[in-house]
Amino acid sequence: MFKELDPLLHSELRLAIMSLLISVEEADFVYLKDQTKSTSGNLSVQIDKLNDAGYIEVERGFAGKRTRTVCKITPVGVKAFEAYVESLRSYLNL
Amino acid sequence: MEEKQLNEKESLELIAQMIRNTQRKMEKNSGLPFLIWGYTTIAVSLAVWYLLSTTGNYQWNWLWLTIPVIGFPIMMFTFKKNEVYPKTYIDKVISYVWIVFGLSAFIVSAGTFIFHRFPILFTVILLISMGTAITGLIIKFKPLVFSGFLGMFLSFLCLMLNPLNSILVFAGLFLIVQVIPGHILNYKSRKSHV
Repeated sequence: MFKELDPLLHSELRLAIMSLLISVEEADFVYLKDQTKSTSGNLSVQIDKLNDAGYIEVERGFAGKRTRTVCKITPVGVKAFEAYVESLRSYLNL
Repeated sequence: MEEKQLNEKESLELIAQMIRNTQRKMEKNSGLPFLIWGYTTIAVSLAVWYLLSTTGNYQWNWLWLTIPVIGFPIMMFTFKKNEVYPKTYIDKVISYVWIVFGLSAFIVSAGTFIFHRFPILFTVILLISMGTAITGLIIKFKPLVFSGFLGMFLSFLCLMLNPLNSILVFAGLFLIVQVIPGHILNYKSRKSHV
């Protein structure tokens, strides 16, 4: 029996954000935008969705005069990501 | 990148690619903390040595306290202004290593105001050399490992010499353990960004 893939993670941009955050301690908006090659608007929407689900923590602050958004994966997010990868493995018979 | 649905294989490929992307190059100016603490300590050591040897007044030992007073604001100013993202687990581990070793060095330094015969210069250079060697091993950077171990061996010189000369050796060891590897680290990190 196949496990259902988490719909929140089974989307290109949100999965990319989570994959980046799983390998670093924390990353800022500019870094995520560069790495995912997404638009600010789209990235912002997806970050909010992941934040609302409790998968990531978002901290908005200042770096000098500019605003800086820093994202960090939560334990809930790590669990969801692991479960997602496990589901992928079962789909692909790995 | 759009908000599109992926098939399972694409998902795995995307995860692998993003994780690969985080295996970043060495940050520019990685050696800066070594240079800030190294040069500050050398300058203060030489000042203390000069004042003690010319006046013979041991009150000048209070000048050692200027090392954190000068070093911390420079560190805060430099790194608040140029905070680098992403922060990796390695960054965090290294900062923990230096919190422990830096705090230990500070505690034993404070202790010498109570226990006057404590071999403070030997202890501090031993602790800083250990921190340097551990940092080198974590980031796999041989000059740091080498200078750290060399510092540990040479730290015993501070026990062998008289107090005045051991201050000069202490300054020299900071050059070996912090300043030289700091410059090499900066050079290598700049090169990896070209």
